[in-house]
Amino acid sequence: MSSSLKKYWIRFFFKITFFGVLLFTSYCFIISRANGYTDPFYLRFTSTKQENLIIGTSRSAQGLRPDIFNNILKKKFYNYSFTVAHSPYGPTYLNSIKKKLKSNVENGTFILTIDPWSISSWTDDPNDVDKFRELKLCLKNTPLVNINPNPIYFFNNYNGDYKKLIMKKSSPMFLHNNGWLEVSVDMDSTVVEERINEKVKDYKKNLSSFSKKSDLRIYYLIETIKYLQNHGDVFLVRMPIHPKIMQIEEEFMSDFESEIYEAIEISSGYLDLTEFNGDYIYTDGNHLYKDSGIIVSEKVSKWVKNTKANELLKPVYY
Amino acid sequence: MLFNSIDFAIFLPIVFMLYWVINKRGSLTMQNLLIVVASYVFYGWWDYRFLALIVFSTLVDFTVGQQLRKASDSGKRKALLWTSIFVNIGLLGFFKYYNFFVDNFVQAFSFFGSEIQPNTLNIILPVGISFYTFQTLSYTIDVYRKKLDPTNDIVAFAAFVSFFPQLVAGPIERATNLLPQFYKTRKFHYSKAVDGLRQILWGLFKKVVIADNCAQFANMIFDDYSQYSGSTLLLGAIFFAFQIYGDFSGYSDIAIGTSRLFGFDLKQNFAFPYFSRDIAEFWRRWHISLSTWFRDYVYIPLGGSKGSVGNQIRNVFIIFIVSGFWHGANWTFIVWGALNAVYFLPLLLLQRNRKHTNVVAEHTMLPSIKEGIAMLITFLITTLAWIFFRAPSISDAVQYLAGVIDSSLVSIPEIRPSFLFILILLFLVIEWAGRRQKYALEALWLGRPKVVRWLAYYIISMIIFLYGGKAQEFIYFQF
Repeated sequence: MSSSLKKYWIRFFFKITFFGVLLFTSYCFIISRANGYTDPFYLRFTSTKQENLIIGTSRSAQGLRPDIFNNILKKKFYNYSFTVAHSPYGPTYLNSIKKKLKSNVENGTFILTIDPWSISSWTDDPNDVDKFRELKLCLKNTPLVNINPNPIYFFNNYNGDYKKLIMKKSSPMFLHNNGWLEVSVDMDSTVVEERINEKVKDYKKNLSSFSKKSDLRIYYLIETIKYLQNHGDVFLVRMPIHPKIMQIEEEFMSDFESEIYEAIEISSGYLDLTEFNGDYIYTDGNHLYKDSGIIVSEKVSKWVKNTKANELLKPVYY
Repeated sequence: MLFNSIDFAIFLPIVFMLYWVINKRGSLTMQNLLIVVASYVFYGWWDYRFLALIVFSTLVDFTVGQQLRKASDSGKRKALLWTSIFVNIGLLGFFKYYNFFVDNFVQAFSFFGSEIQPNTLNIILPVGISFYTFQTLSYTIDVYRKKLDPTNDIVAFAAFVSFFPQLVAGPIERATNLLPQFYKTRKFHYSKAVDGLRQILWGLFKKVVIADNCAQFANMIFDDYSQYSGSTLLLGAIFFAFQIYGDFSGYSDIAIGTSRLFGFDLKQNFAFPYFSRDIAEFWRRWHISLSTWFRDYVYIPLGGSKGSVGNQIRNVFIIFIVSGFWHGANWTFIVWGALNAVYFLPLLLLQRNRKHTNVVAEHTMLPSIKEGIAMLITFLITTLAWIFFRAPSISDAVQYLAGVIDSSLVSIPEIRPSFLFILILLFLVIEWAGRRQKYALEALWLGRPKVVRWLAYYIISMIIFLYGGKAQEFIYFQF
C-alpha cells in the first residue's frame, strides 16, 4: 500500500470510528433514558446481582412486593419474575437466575411461585426443549443481565420504537427498581368484571386448550430449587387467583400438588394461597390488585419468617 | 443474514478489514477467495444446506463456459447453452414453481371432472435463487453470444456468482459488468468508500424508517381489508407502494454501497421511479437490473417492438407476465404483470413509450403542473397494480379494489399515522432534491461545510435509530 493510500485508509478508518463512537454514545445516552415505563422487563436486566429473589411469572411479578419482604425479613429482595410466556420453569429461566444471583450467597431466601402453567408447554411434545416458548424471548436473548444501560437487551428484544424511550413518560405499568411491576388500571367493578371475563375467555381459548404438562419443566423446577438451595432457603408459593380462573386451572391440572410433589418435598416450605382466593381483589382475575398484593406479600413474608423461626425443615402444608 | 441486523453490523467490518489487509499483500486471488468465503458465510447464516445449490450452479456455468470456448460447432454451442438454461431454470422451477404447477394441474383436472391426488412437496424456497440463477445465466448467454470471454479463473467466477452484497436480492449484475472487476486489483479509494457508506446510510433509512413503518400499517389494512373504508384501503395501498419501494430500493442501495466499500461498481437498480411521468418511464426506473435482463435476453430475442402489431402486443404481454411470474408462484403476480402490460401497451402502440427519457424537472426546482399531474396519475395506477402484488389471492385483490372504488373513498381514513406522513414527506423531499443523482444523498450536501454534512448524516442515523419500524424481512428475499 502506498503512503498516500495508507493516509487515506487511516483517514477513512479514523472518521468512521469517530462517527461510530458518536452514534454509539448517542445510542447509550438514549437507552439510559429508559425507566420503569419503558417496558415491563428492561430494568430487571440492569440491576446488580442479587442475594434474595422472587421467582415466577406475572402473578408474582405484580403480586409480590420486595419492599414488604425487605421490611419483614430484613433482607433485600429482588423480584425476578416475568410472565407465563417468558419465565416458565426450564433451562432458559434457570440460566438467567444463575446469572442474576451473586455466586457467593449462602443464606439467601428464594420465593418460587408455582402454578400449572409454569410447568406446562404449548407444543405438541411438551418436553421438546428446542421448541420451548421462551426461546425467542428476552430471557433467552439477553445473555448479560446485570449491566446498566443494557444495550444487548435493546438490540435483541426491543423492536423499533426507541422514540418511546425519550417520549414515553406514563403507562399503566411501571416497573420499580426492585423488580416489582406496578399495574394501575381502572378498578371500577364493571370494568374489572369485563377484564376477568376476557381473561377467562383467553385462558380457555389460548392456554388451557393447548397447554400440556411438561415433565421436563417439572424437572427444571426441581433443578432450580436444588441450585438455589446451594445459596439459601427455597420456599414455594401458589399465588391466589380469581375463582373463575381457579376453575380452569382445576380442570386443566386437578392434581397439581401431586405433580410437583418432589419439588414440595425438597423445598423449605410450600404455601398454597388458592384456598383464600375469595379474600383478594384482582385486576383481571389472574393478577392481584396492588392493595391485595401488599396483603399477600405480608402474608408470604410472615409465613417465611415463621417457617424459618420454627426451623421446620420438612415441607409445610398450610 | 439481514443487512439491518447486528450480525451484519459485525460481519461487514470484519470482512472489510480482512479484505484490505489481504490487498496490502497484493494477492488478487486471496481477495477473491475471501469474497467467496464471506459470501458463503453470509448465505449459510440463513441456511447452509442451500449453499450446495450455489456451488452447483457455479460449477455448471463455469464448465459450460469452458466448453463454449472450445466448441466451434453451432449445434454443440447451442446444446451447451441449453444445458445451462435447463439446469438453472430447472432448479428455479423446481424450488419455486413445482407446487404451483401441481396445484394448478389438479384444479384444471378437477374442473373437467377428474379428481387426481396432488403430489405436492414441502419445498423451502432458497433465498435469492431467482437472483443468482439469472446472474449465472447472463454469463453463459453472453459467452454463447461471444460478448464475453469465458473465464479460466474459477475463484473469480465463484465470487461473481456469490458476491454477498447482491447475492440474495440483487441487483442482478451482468457478467459483462461485474466479472471483469474480479480480474483487476482493487485499490482502496477514499471517496468511493465514503460514497458507499453514504449510500448504505440512505438504504437503511429507506428500509428501516420508510419500508418497515409503512409495512405495519399496510399489513394491518391488507390483513383486515373488509373492515376499512375506501379511503383507508387506498391509503393502505399507498403505504404498500412506499413499503415495497423503500424495502427493495433500500436493499439495492445497501448492496451497491457495500460493494463500493470493496471497490466494486454495481449498476443502478432504481432511479426514483415514483417521479415517473408515465408507466414506460416507471419501468425504465424500477428494478432496472431485472427489466434490462428480460429486455436483453427475452424481449429482444422475441422481436421486441419490431414486427407486426400482433407480435408487439404478444411480446409486451410475454415480458410483463414472465416478469410478474418471476416474482412468485401465484396468479396474483401474473395478473400484476398483465396489468402493467395493459398500462404499457397504448404507449408502445402510439410510439410514446420513450417520451420521457430525461429526469423530471431537470433544470427547475419544481415540476410543472402537467408533470405533477402525470406523476400523480402514474403513481396512482402503479399503486392500484400493487394491490394485486400484495394481496394473497386474486379474489382478495378484486375485493380490495372494489372496496377502494366505493363511496367511502371520499371520507377521512380511519388510520392516520401522522408521524409516518411526516417521515414519508421528508423522504420524498430528499428524494426529489437528489433525483438527478444515482441515489438521493449522493451529492445532496457535498458542497456544504463538513459540519453541515456530518450533522445531516448524524440526524439521518438518529432518525433510523429512533423511528425505525418493527423489523421486517426484505420482501424480495422471497423472490
